[in-house]
Amino acid sequence: MTLKTEKWRLLEDRRRLVPTAGGLAVDDLLAYSISDYGSPPILHLYTFEPAAIVGKYQDIRAVLKLDRCRERGIAYNRRSTGGGTVIMGPDVLALGFGISLRDKRIGNGVSGVFRVMSGVLLRALEHLGVSAGFRPKNDLEVGGKKLAGLSASAEVGDCVLFHASILVDFNVDLMLDIMNTPAQKIYDKGYSCFSERLTTIRNETHRNVTMEETINAVRSSFEEAFGIRFVSSELTSREREKAADLEKGRYCDEDWIFSHRHPPSNMGEALMKTPGGLLQVYLSTAGHAIDQVIITGDFFSTTEQLNRLESALKWTLADPDRILEAIGEVWEPDLIYGVSPEELKDVILAAKANCDTVPGHQRPDRTSQGRA
Amino acid sequence: MELEGYVLPDELYYHEEHSWARIEKDGTVTVGMNDFFQKEAGDIVFVDMPEEDDEVEQGEVCGKIQSRKWIGKLCSPLTGEIFEINEELEDEVTLINSDPYGAGWIFKMKAANLEEEKANLYHGESVGQWISEEIAKAEEEKAKAS
Repeated sequence: MTLKTEKWRLLEDRRRLVPTAGGLAVDDLLAYSISDYGSPPILHLYTFEPAAIVGKYQDIRAVLKLDRCRERGIAYNRRSTGGGTVIMGPDVLALGFGISLRDKRIGNGVSGVFRVMSGVLLRALEHLGVSAGFRPKNDLEVGGKKLAGLSASAEVGDCVLFHASILVDFNVDLMLDIMNTPAQKIYDKGYSCFSERLTTIRNETHRNVTMEETINAVRSSFEEAFGIRFVSSELTSREREKAADLEKGRYCDEDWIFSHRHPPSNMGEALMKTPGGLLQVYLSTAGHAIDQVIITGDFFSTTEQLNRLESALKWTLADPDRILEAIGEVWEPDLIYGVSPEELKDVILAAKANCDTVPGHQRPDRTSQGRA
Repeated sequence: MELEGYVLPDELYYHEEHSWARIEKDGTVTVGMNDFFQKEAGDIVFVDMPEEDDEVEQGEVCGKIQSRKWIGKLCSPLTGEIFEINEELEDEVTLINSDPYGAGWIFKMKAANLEEEKANLYHGESVGQWISEEIAKAEEEKAKAS
């Protein structure tokens, strides 16, 4: 008796750069296909046209310099999963994956999705010669530098939509030119903090890894991890119709792109003299939570440790107990030489107290917008 | 009831997606998210609430809740019309974490089919087994992750 290998669907778009509305609509379709149309799990691999894509509950006017995006021909849109802004383009692999949470291979609930999917993507990176690790809460990193971002959302029925963006290569200058980020102020002083915080597959392998190779590595890794075979697939006519509805009704709709359903965004900074040196924190907040934090100064620490500290603080509530708790998750003696967790907490809170509303931000207005 | 650190008040009815329903004396229903959900989700960053006058069905996704990068579903435990949403959450969304059964309530509704639909919710003795299974799944996942 021969056991039949289970077949999953693979949607690929290797020949073109996909417009944001079309790509995001197909990703959203995945959950409907599985839940409502009886499809097996679907993997969607593609590259976007140059674009900035914000998380579902981000304030797009606050996080992007929309005038610079328009001037440079960079598209912008809002995805249906959470997290922060991603800059997409021909050298960044976009991955959408739809699967039922009832599938035992995906683990238990949301934590399972992140654990299993990070394992699959780490294996893909290993195929390419990159030894990476999972960094809580939702990044893949090499030596403390982010190489991929993961996010997810509970969608139709029991189905989950998982998103990842994987940096084959990356244009830091473009990112800084089109985003409002606390990093801008440091960059203006001649220090590109992002080159210390981000890395790419090409950077890690010291060779010109192609998008084709990356896609093949991800595909193989999925097949090995889940014990399945992919079948290259096209959308059915019913799926095409649904994707077109989602594209028009959501991703081409200004009410969606400029949605006011989000916590208010603010940015601030603070400086403190400590026994270990000058400690400076640049902060952006989303409501009561820390969105981005950058810790800099003339103290002694390593980039890797600082990046882990910053990641632990991301999406933490900006109150004293929770900040100390987050710092405690990664703190080791002398992580920042001569600086205590208490002092770091104090300077973060001082940066929060100095926060100003980001230009372009508007107070959320729940009454005027639709919901996906 | 308190089970392994999760508080689930006996008088409430629970939907399998972890929303709770409190049937008030005047027959209206108050809805929120239970202690298991808020502890598993961690700090809530934003809640995308339904609107007053929305008509919802039992189990319908009528909102979304963001905690860190995950966006979870807010499912209505019953069919009916929403007549009030908790505006306090706009400024203090963390009330869902700090007081899930009190100040962290999310909306109030007039249930259309209360007696029939109550049978589809966990209540009384059935809560213990259901939440034990949910805890076991979560613990299994944490063990795999560590």
